[in-house]
Amino acid sequence: MDAARSLNLAMEELFAPPAYEWKRLSPKYRSMRILTTLIVTPVLFTIAAVIVGVTSGMWWISGLIWVAAVVIVLIRLGFVTRNWRSWGYVEREDDLYITHGFMFRSLIAVPYGRMQLVEVESGPLERAFGLASVSLKTASPETGARIPGLAPEEATRLRDRLTELGEAHASGL
Amino acid sequence: MSGTQPQRMSSDSPSAGSDPDVTTTSDLHAPVAAPAKPTERPHPLTPFVRGWLVFVALAIGWAREFVTSASENQFEPSGLVWILPILGVVVLLAAIAGFISWYFTRFVIDDEELRIETGAIFKRSTKIPFERLQAVDIVQPLVARIFGLAELRLDAGNSTTKLRYLTRSKASRFRDYLLARAHGHQASIRDLDQQAVASAFTDLGAADHPLVQVTPQRLILSFLLSTEWLIPTAISIIILVGTVAFGVLPLALGALIPLLIGMMSLIWRRVIGMFNFTLAESPRGLRITRGLTNLTSQSVPINRVQGVKTSQPLLWKPLGWYRVDIDVLGHAQDDGDNSEATASSVLLPVASRDEVELALGRVLPGFDLDGIELHPSPTRARWLRWFDFWTLRYGWDDRTLITERGWLTYVRDVVPHAKTQSVRVEQGPLQRRLRLADVHIHTPRGPVNAVAHQLDEQTARELALSQLDRARAARAAEREHRRVESVRGDDHQGETKLLASFGTGRDQLLGWGGESEVFALDHDRVLRLYRSRHEAPRRTAAQLKDLYGSWRAVDIGIELPMIMELGERDGRFYSVDRRFSGRNFSSWLQYADISQRRPALISFLDATERLQHLPSPVPGFARLIGDEAPQQFTTLGELLAAMLKNPLRTSRERLEHDVPGISEVWDRLHADIAERTVTPALVHGDVCPPNAYLSQGSDGPVVTGIGDFSPHTLHADPLMDVVGALIFLELEPYADAPADVAWLESVAVERYGLEIIRWIEVYRRYYGFYFSNAHAVEPALYAWCLRQLSR
Repeated sequence: MDAARSLNLAMEELFAPPAYEWKRLSPKYRSMRILTTLIVTPVLFTIAAVIVGVTSGMWWISGLIWVAAVVIVLIRLGFVTRNWRSWGYVEREDDLYITHGFMFRSLIAVPYGRMQLVEVESGPLERAFGLASVSLKTASPETGARIPGLAPEEATRLRDRLTELGEAHASGL
Repeated sequence: MSGTQPQRMSSDSPSAGSDPDVTTTSDLHAPVAAPAKPTERPHPLTPFVRGWLVFVALAIGWAREFVTSASENQFEPSGLVWILPILGVVVLLAAIAGFISWYFTRFVIDDEELRIETGAIFKRSTKIPFERLQAVDIVQPLVARIFGLAELRLDAGNSTTKLRYLTRSKASRFRDYLLARAHGHQASIRDLDQQAVASAFTDLGAADHPLVQVTPQRLILSFLLSTEWLIPTAISIIILVGTVAFGVLPLALGALIPLLIGMMSLIWRRVIGMFNFTLAESPRGLRITRGLTNLTSQSVPINRVQGVKTSQPLLWKPLGWYRVDIDVLGHAQDDGDNSEATASSVLLPVASRDEVELALGRVLPGFDLDGIELHPSPTRARWLRWFDFWTLRYGWDDRTLITERGWLTYVRDVVPHAKTQSVRVEQGPLQRRLRLADVHIHTPRGPVNAVAHQLDEQTARELALSQLDRARAARAAEREHRRVESVRGDDHQGETKLLASFGTGRDQLLGWGGESEVFALDHDRVLRLYRSRHEAPRRTAAQLKDLYGSWRAVDIGIELPMIMELGERDGRFYSVDRRFSGRNFSSWLQYADISQRRPALISFLDATERLQHLPSPVPGFARLIGDEAPQQFTTLGELLAAMLKNPLRTSRERLEHDVPGISEVWDRLHADIAERTVTPALVHGDVCPPNAYLSQGSDGPVVTGIGDFSPHTLHADPLMDVVGALIFLELEPYADAPADVAWLESVAVERYGLEIIRWIEVYRRYYGFYFSNAHAVEPALYAWCLRQLSR
């Protein structure tokens, strides 16, 4: 655990925004991810197990599949928290930084002057958890900047703030 | 919170969806605003040309029926006969639809407007403001060409409007007219009636000057040697040989057919589409014509180029050939016609190094790509990129970022900082172990994909974060440039013509200052165009020409300016100057590494010291340039007092307000100067990095030229320049400038002894007074002056 933490710190240095603190996602996002992990994998594996059992009659294979499902769910549950913790964003004077990823880390910086569109999205599941996500579009399709799992107030605040900053920094291409 | 709530931002940025610049009105049944003026229809053959495939299908079907029923032995599929009448109905319907579409398409292109109306039931009227036109292209598909017709493609903002088909002469006339209007010229459509007409084969106007022409031999040879052709060919041969050897040829068809289709499409794009490729310079910018069957003539909107990709397949290397693609904003988003979009991003399908440089000079004017130092990725990258780690490189200067990669196909991506959209740093688990990371520089959709692969993680972070600062600075510079241009708005038109008469243009702008703008003419000469129409700069330039002329025989070991020609054209005063070799010292300093910067600063100090060996046209203390110059003075004090008289006239009150005890500072300055005994020598008066030029020496970059002598130039105390070289460095915007000044001061102390510290302080105050009238034009300089005077 200690080794992991020190590794984490080293990574923080590489991906940290200069002289700022990351803002983190809402804890509800973690709950939502835990729920989807608990539901999606077991349901899919159960369907597979039942089909195998019914068609072949060898129910011990189905048992193995269930065991596999449990193992996978446990592993994924372990990652959910880390993944949730890996997300961060910060509004700087001239640009927005977003970081995420636990195995594959990435840090993206989008200048306000380059934003063309700021969207707040909230699907049915997200709404049930009281969450929303904000995504930013620039002229480049590769930008792909998205912050999931925000409280709706924070999402609207961020959208309004980014729009305002975008207009203030707007520049042609 | 519910659903999606998008919010649109700045209106001048392109984005998917409707284009605010093009007004389109749609109305059910209602007639479009009663057109008072006559509108035209496209050429009557249009429905036939557009639907020729259907007609051909009809003809073939009919012929087949005729053939099959004629030959008795033929197996006759009874089902096919039933298809024919259905096909006939489809063809008839298509023909009617084509006819209706043609009948209801009307357009107006005249001195007032460009409007296109379409639709039988849903009327649609599209009006495009002339100044919003980005490009006007002519496309001639094979069948249209046979009938002498052409399609006009109007590219405005984000949307492309097609007008098809017009007679070829009409299309090229409209194109010339629309491009003239798009550039803000007040042309009239009637004036252009007798202009040169595009031909069916090349579509080059009489005024077009070809820069690069690709011969069919070279195109075909380069295609056959390209990696993207050889690999599928090799795979097909292997599959073919393997399956034939084992006698299972039919099994291979599943793999071969898609491969063959891919190869056919490659031939179509790379050979047929690029046949007779010509990059030409027309009075309205760069123009590309290409195509064997579809003859396309497209303009290259230089201000919309977002990046440049140069590539070289392995086998092209011995031939020295390259291929150049460009990211053009909006091009890649064209109506889903993907092969057309990739084709239109080709700047040169195959070209020699010289031709590439020529073209890049036009597309990225004023960029010094070869001067950019490239850094390799660390060798530990070999664990991850074992197949090409030695080819990974990246580098940048104040205007662009370059990344290189690959040996099977070498690729170099160039992204101007001002076009950077966003930046991403990525690191996977293996990279983390090796302390490596990738940096992606995002540009709009297109062939350019600049990624600096496998950098050391700290370097990656610095590169990514500083790239945003560079992008911001570059955009600010562009905005400033545009502002300066718009201030002179009404002057613009005449100026374009004037520049063209010298064989240069706005895109060749190298630099600008308060008094003049400098344009590149060729490798050795620049054109300096003075802003003001007053007498003063003219007299100054004449005096400078004489002064530089008197130094022609003197060699002090650095390059000096030279004015080759002075004159007046179209009421504007200009000079043709010798172009300095190397690059601007100031712009280099911003990004140079300390290990290179410090030696270069020493060479800057050396160059400054050499200036005092230049001969003066008059002996004694003197002003050399300006009204009533050369003006001689008996003492240094008198000269400097005279020099300060003018600036202080405007800034005295302000200084009295801003600097407490200014009169004391003033008295002390004069007392100090009175104590200075010195033999007069030449003083440049404004030795600062923006006036110096840097070249690559054997031990790294060195300052090899100093330009821009001016009314500041004197025959006085040579220490004035030494001090100037130190203290003006403080005005450079890079972060370590103050540290460099302190360090350079210690170098000066080593050379001149401790006594120089006193004179640095004295001349700091002198220059503080001297430039204090800058408060209105350069607030940063004025703030610097205040710092000098309050020390």
